[in-house]
Amino acid sequence: MTDKRIDEILGAEEALVPTSGFLASVMERVREEAAAPPPIPFPWKRAVPGLVVAAGVFGWAAVEFARRMGPAMATMKLPAAPVHLAAGASGPLEQAGWVVAAAAVSMISWVLARRMAS
Amino acid sequence: MNTTAHNEAGPPTTNDASSGTPTRADADLADVERVLAGEVGAFEGIVRRWQAPLVNMAWRYCRDRGRAEELAQEAFVRAWRGLATWRKESSFSTWLFALAANVYRNELKRFPTVTLAMEDIAEPAREADQLTKIEERSHCEVVRRAVLALPKRYREPVVLFYFHDQDVAAAARTMGLPEGTLKARLSRARELLRRRFPKLGNGQAGSSVAGAGTEGGA
Repeated sequence: MTDKRIDEILGAEEALVPTSGFLASVMERVREEAAAPPPIPFPWKRAVPGLVVAAGVFGWAAVEFARRMGPAMATMKLPAAPVHLAAGASGPLEQAGWVVAAAAVSMISWVLARRMAS
Repeated sequence: MNTTAHNEAGPPTTNDASSGTPTRADADLADVERVLAGEVGAFEGIVRRWQAPLVNMAWRYCRDRGRAEELAQEAFVRAWRGLATWRKESSFSTWLFALAANVYRNELKRFPTVTLAMEDIAEPAREADQLTKIEERSHCEVVRRAVLALPKRYREPVVLFYFHDQDVAAAARTMGLPEGTLKARLSRARELLRRRFPKLGNGQAGSSVAGAGTEGGA
């Protein structure tokens, strides 16, 4: 098929005439929209103090949790890790564990947020 | 009938000062100002003038009459909501077509139309010059439907290029793409169609954009 033929076929499209009720149905929807009360804005003024308090509580809880669990985890032995690795890498391993946990929490919250949005 | 959708409604025109006749652009501007001043009924003039182009444009996106009217209605409602965002730098039609294309693209992404894969579309067994009138019509429709089976990035340039009477600049404005990109995508789309339907048409290439479609980079 040549370009000319493509132009002939795709350029020669019969025009549709909208149905007789189309204009009326569009205007009906537009009038509904016009009559509807404006959307209620999110109450940021009321929400901000609550959000700040919640963030503070979560932050404090995270710090407190880390502070209490830190020594307990430091005393835990890593049976699977080879001795030469455990000696040198217990610090980095512990940090990696926290990074993985944080990434998992982020991932879960992201998935939940997407589900709630859709 | 061999007219495209917006021809029926007529292209946007400039002010005809000599005759003093209000043009479509003037009427659009006046109606938009009345709507923004709070006169809801003035939107009817806009719908009346642009209903045929928008329904026909939607038809080319989905080839389903009922769906086309739903999509066009949604586009008008979005236009109503966003009327204040038209900055009058471009013509009202340019703004409306771009908005409608955006609505159609997003709505069809959410609820796609059922289309065949390119390789599942049957090709006519005979050469184009051996077809009867009925076969010819039916094969033209097959090619039009095949446009919807093109990969997404090539489909919309084809739809808009032919909707805009093969005007690359208008199609590029509606899509918000540089003209060169649109030409390159058109060229690729034509290549895919040519490859899929080698028997349809046996003349030499010589279309208005055959050359244009092969130049310009994406």
